[in-house]
Amino acid sequence: MKRRRYIAWIFLAPSLIMYLYFFVYPTIEAIILSFYKASGFTQNPEFVGFKNFSKLISDDSFLAALKNTLLLLVIGGIGIFLIAFIFSLLLGSGIKGKKVYRTIIFFPFIIAPVVHSIYWGLLVYNPRKGMLNQFFKLLHIEALAKFTFTEPKYVLWSVIFIVIWVSVGFYLILLMAGIERIPPYLYEAARIEGATELRMFFNITLPLVKEVLVIAIIFWGINAVKMFDLLYAFGGILPPRALWTNAIYLYIMGFGKRDPIFQLGYASAIGVVTLLLVIVISFIIRKLIRREIYEY
Amino acid sequence: MKIKKFSFRKFASHTILIIWSITVAMLVVWMVIASFKTNKTVFSQLWALPEKLSLVNFSNAWSNLDFGRYTFNSIFVVIISVALIIIISAPASYALTRMKMKFAQPITFFYLAGMGIPVQLLFIPLFKIMAPLNLINSLPGLIVVYVTLSIPFTVFLLTGFFLSIPSELEDAAYMDGCNEFQTFFKIMVPMATPGIVTAAIFNFIGLWNEYMLALIFITGKENKTLSLGLYSLYSSLQYTSDWVSIFAGSVLVIIPTMIIFIVLSEKLISGITMGAIK
Repeated sequence: MKRRRYIAWIFLAPSLIMYLYFFVYPTIEAIILSFYKASGFTQNPEFVGFKNFSKLISDDSFLAALKNTLLLLVIGGIGIFLIAFIFSLLLGSGIKGKKVYRTIIFFPFIIAPVVHSIYWGLLVYNPRKGMLNQFFKLLHIEALAKFTFTEPKYVLWSVIFIVIWVSVGFYLILLMAGIERIPPYLYEAARIEGATELRMFFNITLPLVKEVLVIAIIFWGINAVKMFDLLYAFGGILPPRALWTNAIYLYIMGFGKRDPIFQLGYASAIGVVTLLLVIVISFIIRKLIRREIYEY
Repeated sequence: MKIKKFSFRKFASHTILIIWSITVAMLVVWMVIASFKTNKTVFSQLWALPEKLSLVNFSNAWSNLDFGRYTFNSIFVVIISVALIIIISAPASYALTRMKMKFAQPITFFYLAGMGIPVQLLFIPLFKIMAPLNLINSLPGLIVVYVTLSIPFTVFLLTGFFLSIPSELEDAAYMDGCNEFQTFFKIMVPMATPGIVTAAIFNFIGLWNEYMLALIFITGKENKTLSLGLYSLYSSLQYTSDWVSIFAGSVLVIIPTMIIFIVLSEKLISGITMGAIK
């Protein structure tokens, strides 16, 4: 039977229509709205050019949120990939129970972020009452028994730790999949030549896992920048200012916390900056890790 | 000497992995323990087991705090969303990878670019688009949002799977006189089942757990999903001090994803592996 190419459009149509109307169109609308001053959904927006963006540069809350977003992205990313690589080495060395460990490490990733916020906020980090303080009290380490993990100065680091702990498993799976594709004879040859484990990691594993690593890092970058659920729920009624990221600040400027704010144009400008951030990140990662494909 | 060194390394590896695993197990164990306690003992006897195994926190959460209703809302919204996501994304992924259509590459890129859009950017315009369609504070409205926003990632996963299917079977089907629809449903869908299952599980877990979009598009109490209900209860904690209900609610949120994970984790893990790495 002759294949009719136009049929492909029938297969594509339902998703394309929804995608265009409820995804692409609002994206363009948001970018346009970021050049307008609009307070509330009923008022007519007024064109202000780049005013929202120039206001952002001098908005201390926004700059703090941007800094938090970048810290989460960079520190969280370093933590996740460092630990994931260590685990992939531990699990790749022919250890017993590899699959069980991998499954357990992955497990937190499928638990609702709001549940993580509740568990860590109420049961683990809770000042004096929580497991961490109580645990150090049992060990008679007074300094840590009284340490407040959720005070503004440290809360971001405490939450970044949660994010690392939750995400490691997912990136571990990606990395392990990449590593397992590397043919074993490369390692055997290196071993015969007398290469150390560390050398083999840097000269064989890392270059050959590059392709997967690029996908994984970009994936992390996108997810870090738009992360909302875990951070927003942390602290219950409203997240402490020290935890505000772009995503949270946008939500607060748009919809408010207890009381609506509805600075729609301004909130959209925050979103546009965040979008630019995603584009820049993807670009930098691709530049940093040049995509030479090694044939093997 | 060599053997001894080797076994020390194994011992160290196991120690690290076991400590990490314990921290994971603690999450489930302590959530469950806390959900059986009373507000009086939950923190004062943090390390103790519950005094008695009473389901009162669960029945309180289920009926008095409306978690029963939220659960049904979640089941309704998530199952229909996942079904629709697959129904529209699988043919699209097939068309983009297998049907030799014009502009397949740029369109694929156009779909995947959606993964890079920070969702928060869409909140305000999406709210404006949905309001006149009466889709605000409605479960069908939430389904529309969930389905649309899941398209890019699902297409990303599924195009990977469709690309990996050898073309001989497809050619044979056409030669035997199947049309495009028969080829897709009879040959390609069964071959792509592992990918479709992965995409379905992934979307199920993601949507079951998500509350951000529900927080925006669900304004009434009666339409809350389970995760949103839990979030709302948690954010009103300072007025109620009812911790144990929150823990019981958390356990309710965890149960379905946990069951799916226990049954299907191998499928999910191998699916991520195959889908992300082409």
